[in-house]
Amino acid sequence: MLPMYTAKTATISVYDPAMCCSTGLCGPSVDPQLLQVARDLRRFEAEGIIVERFNLAQQPGSYAQNLKVAGLLQAFGDKALPVTLINGDIFVYGRYPSRDEVAAALAQRREQEPVAAQNADGGCDCGSGGCC
Amino acid sequence: MLLSGARVPLKEKMAIMLRDTRIATLTPIDWSGWQTPFLFFTGKGGVGKTTVASTVALRLAELGRRVLLVSTDPASNLDDVFKIPAGSTATPVPDVPGLFLMNIDPEAAAAAYRERVITPYYGVLPASSLQSMEEQLSGACTVEIAAFNEFTGLLADPLVVSRFEHIIFDTAPTGHTLRLLSLPKAWSGFIETNSHGASCLGPLAGLEAQHEQYAATVRTLGDAARTTIVLVSRPESSALQEAARAGGEFRALGITNQQLVLNGVFTASVGEDAIAQAMLARQLEALQTMPEALRATPTVAVPLVAHDLIGVAALRRLSQTAEQTSPAGDISVANDSFDASSLPGLDTLVRQLEADGQGVIMMMGKGGVGKTTLAAAIAVALAHAGHRVHLSTTDPAAHLGQALGAAIPAGLQVGRIDPAAETRRYSEEVLAAAGPLDEEERALLEEDLRSPCTEEIAVFRAFARTVQEAERDFVVLDTAPTGHTLLLLDAAQSYHREVERTMGDVPEPVRRLLPRLRDPRFTKILLVTLAESTPVQEAERLQADLRRAAIEPFGWVINASLLKSGTNNPTLVQRAQGEVAHVLRVKQKLAARNWLVPWYASIPTGEQALLAMTSR
Repeated sequence: MLPMYTAKTATISVYDPAMCCSTGLCGPSVDPQLLQVARDLRRFEAEGIIVERFNLAQQPGSYAQNLKVAGLLQAFGDKALPVTLINGDIFVYGRYPSRDEVAAALAQRREQEPVAAQNADGGCDCGSGGCC
Repeated sequence: MLLSGARVPLKEKMAIMLRDTRIATLTPIDWSGWQTPFLFFTGKGGVGKTTVASTVALRLAELGRRVLLVSTDPASNLDDVFKIPAGSTATPVPDVPGLFLMNIDPEAAAAAYRERVITPYYGVLPASSLQSMEEQLSGACTVEIAAFNEFTGLLADPLVVSRFEHIIFDTAPTGHTLRLLSLPKAWSGFIETNSHGASCLGPLAGLEAQHEQYAATVRTLGDAARTTIVLVSRPESSALQEAARAGGEFRALGITNQQLVLNGVFTASVGEDAIAQAMLARQLEALQTMPEALRATPTVAVPLVAHDLIGVAALRRLSQTAEQTSPAGDISVANDSFDASSLPGLDTLVRQLEADGQGVIMMMGKGGVGKTTLAAAIAVALAHAGHRVHLSTTDPAAHLGQALGAAIPAGLQVGRIDPAAETRRYSEEVLAAAGPLDEEERALLEEDLRSPCTEEIAVFRAFARTVQEAERDFVVLDTAPTGHTLLLLDAAQSYHREVERTMGDVPEPVRRLLPRLRDPRFTKILLVTLAESTPVQEAERLQADLRRAAIEPFGWVINASLLKSGTNNPTLVQRAQGEVAHVLRVKQKLAARNWLVPWYASIPTGEQALLAMTSR
């Protein structure tokens, strides 16, 4: 099966835990990591990558409909969150990936794109984030 | 309004007499003369909004109209007034055809909202996810939003609106009401300017579709043919100032059809009784120094009556009382069996508070029971005994300065938790902590900071910080009116849960708040009430809520007691006799400790007057 995407249409999907807002402002204090994540995602977006972000408290339907995310939730419960998908594949779960991890994974995908279908390690072509 | 030479026949006016001289006349209320389909009652807590709104509703129903009376107060006492349990849908009042009651309970509305969001995912998402969703949807701002949603839903529902000729809202204490009613504008703007779908709409997300409903609510409120705002006040200066402030805020929102109701106007023709003379003089002074903005508002008056206003019969009796100059005959005046001096006073209370040498002293109770004055008196007494004392208020109207007068005694520090200032401070803190930001990132953060949650968090942090100061000294808190106080405590709990799992840098005072509030040596909560049914019921509810949060109140202060004032005026003596049953109930059934404070002829203001309250 040939991959349907190119680097230009890469998609990062972040499934956050239940929270009031994506910057974490509504907690008892600001979580600096959430600020960093929001900032990183905006930069990827500026580079032309599609970024989607979901909040369990607001869009539970998206979690139930995505079989991979739902599967992680069934297996690990709430500890599976946050889940980050790249082009629909599980990239990291249980924590946010760093900007470098995501950038490296995107670069690797661009290189491996033509041979992605023959990947020998069981199809889990994730990056250094270590999902599998 | 206030006329010294009346232009209308005197028998249609209520006269205020001082030493048998007529000095002011007021138009008595026409209980059934209301034309607009929507009536909103607002005013300082304790001014009698529920009583006045209930009596208006009763009279309109008796004219043959279909009337819905709605309470949006989290601590609604409609049920007590009509002696029936009103549900979240229109509940008919037995014996009064055409009159229906409804309670919009913000807590219940929030619970229903949670149900709607979470239920579809039972069995689809794991239990731990459902639980974390539920936790997120349990905060104070969900409660506020859910209540607001119910309220606009009611106004926008053609089935409800066409079914009733009048819908009367007996709203919550003023701060809450204003927030509720001013939200449509704030939120319409908020939703329009929010370009990022996943941003800090919080529990508002998904409600955007109801934008039109919010806009319709704003139009309804601003339409003078459909809506009357009824400002209810006692003839007292702090209540009148509050009414003026509320009226001004409504005008600023384009809501101009306003009516002032002066409730509890004392009109007795008196001889020599000093207390009655003082009460009349105080009332007159308040009316004569009434804020300018209120003078332009059409004004009517409701007389002070001797009996408790509970039950349809009592309301009917009130609506038939044009002018009460002599006591009604059914309450016996002579009753010497109760000795008011047998109950301890504030001098005893101060000695008991002093015993632990430090700690937080918090006043709780219905608005208007005198929490501010009591807090100031306790703080001044402790400072005089040589302690370092912080006196702080979360009351948006900030009456503390008024109580203390010009000079602040040595050892006493006075502070105020100002929601606007706290929100600014928190926002600046957040932006500073975020480090260098580009323009777009800053805009995103600032947008999140405009969400309705931010103020709640900022005020809560300030509250925790103030409590922290009691480590070595005394902190005396005159808390905000009831509903807000409960939300604060509720926030304390939900934030405590949040704190346990958050990754952010949680300030120490926040982390330690709830354990501190539960420590009886550290925190002493005083339930403040008047010897009347509604404030006692309210304090009873607060006590039950505190106990659910594993907090035991230190005791009850019964304030402004005519029993202890020594009056001889027939109307006032009759009211004083009405206090006995309530005082006994508090003493025997409700309070671990109790103190009785007399009604003062003039509101104690300034160091000396406050000190006199706590000395023998």
